[in-house]
Amino acid sequence: MNKKRNFYLDKRGELTLLQEYLIFILVNLLFFAVFALFIYSKSNGANVLEEKYAKNIALLIDASIPIMKMKLNMEDAFDVAEKNKVSRDEIVKISGNQVIVNLGSSKGYSYRFFNNFAVTAYADSYPNKNYLINVNGYN
Amino acid sequence: MGIIDMKKNSLNKKGKLLSIWWFMIWAIVGGGIVGLAAIFYGNPCDIRAVEANLLIDKISDCVSYGGRINENLISFESSNSFDLSNCYINFLNEEEEFFYKISFYKLDNLEQVVFQKSGGNLNLESFCEVRENLGAVPLCVEKKFYSLDKKNNQYIIKILVSIKKIEQNVK
Repeated sequence: MNKKRNFYLDKRGELTLLQEYLIFILVNLLFFAVFALFIYSKSNGANVLEEKYAKNIALLIDASIPIMKMKLNMEDAFDVAEKNKVSRDEIVKISGNQVIVNLGSSKGYSYRFFNNFAVTAYADSYPNKNYLINVNGYN
Repeated sequence: MGIIDMKKNSLNKKGKLLSIWWFMIWAIVGGGIVGLAAIFYGNPCDIRAVEANLLIDKISDCVSYGGRINENLISFESSNSFDLSNCYINFLNEEEEFFYKISFYKLDNLEQVVFQKSGGNLNLESFCEVRENLGAVPLCVEKKFYSLDKKNNQYIIKILVSIKKIEQNVK
């Protein structure tokens, strides 16, 4: 008969109650950490941020008057764009009455504003993670 | 001995903490979280109410400024005298997505419209009469304010705006 005792098991060859609780808590923590990461990755995905910033910029332009300069902090968008190898200057484009934000998804996201203004957008100087939106005048 | 030895754990008389039921509960909770996150982040953010309010503010600043009707733009004799492009508003290719109606009433007779101008997609107006929430329908916002003309006649100006943009704001 093998009398050598397993360190992790009790006399009956089962996990002790304390060990079982510890494993249970660890598995629970792991489980919720995985879902917290899942929700974080979903909320910071390129698609969600593209929509958020395109709509945000369109509303800012709609609420503005010439001549106005706006600085928009887009730190999270810059991080996603960097990860997807999108150049800083290519993130926001304004073409006619349309704001196009591209953070590396297939087409980017576009939203129109109704003000008939001449608007330009460009990235702030490196390493600032802002975008500068200038409402230059009426079209 | 493995940690996830179901047979062994199901027979564990002390705790049964790592039983198959817990894994089922985790799977149900996990499925719920994934499903809710997918629904929440899969739906677009609806900004039409903000957009409609901004458009109303823009039109109201154009037709009346500093509490006085802008009579350079509006002539009560002819509704053709007013054009929204004079307010630096341009719907460009989105004419079908917007509707606006500007109505002027004299303060002493709110039943009779003195001047009215509407534009955009006229079909959207009918949705503004329905107060029930029908889901993916155009959104309407109406505001009214007080203004005076040059002769100090008092007016109530009502502005109704409806925005469609369903694909971009409602799934």
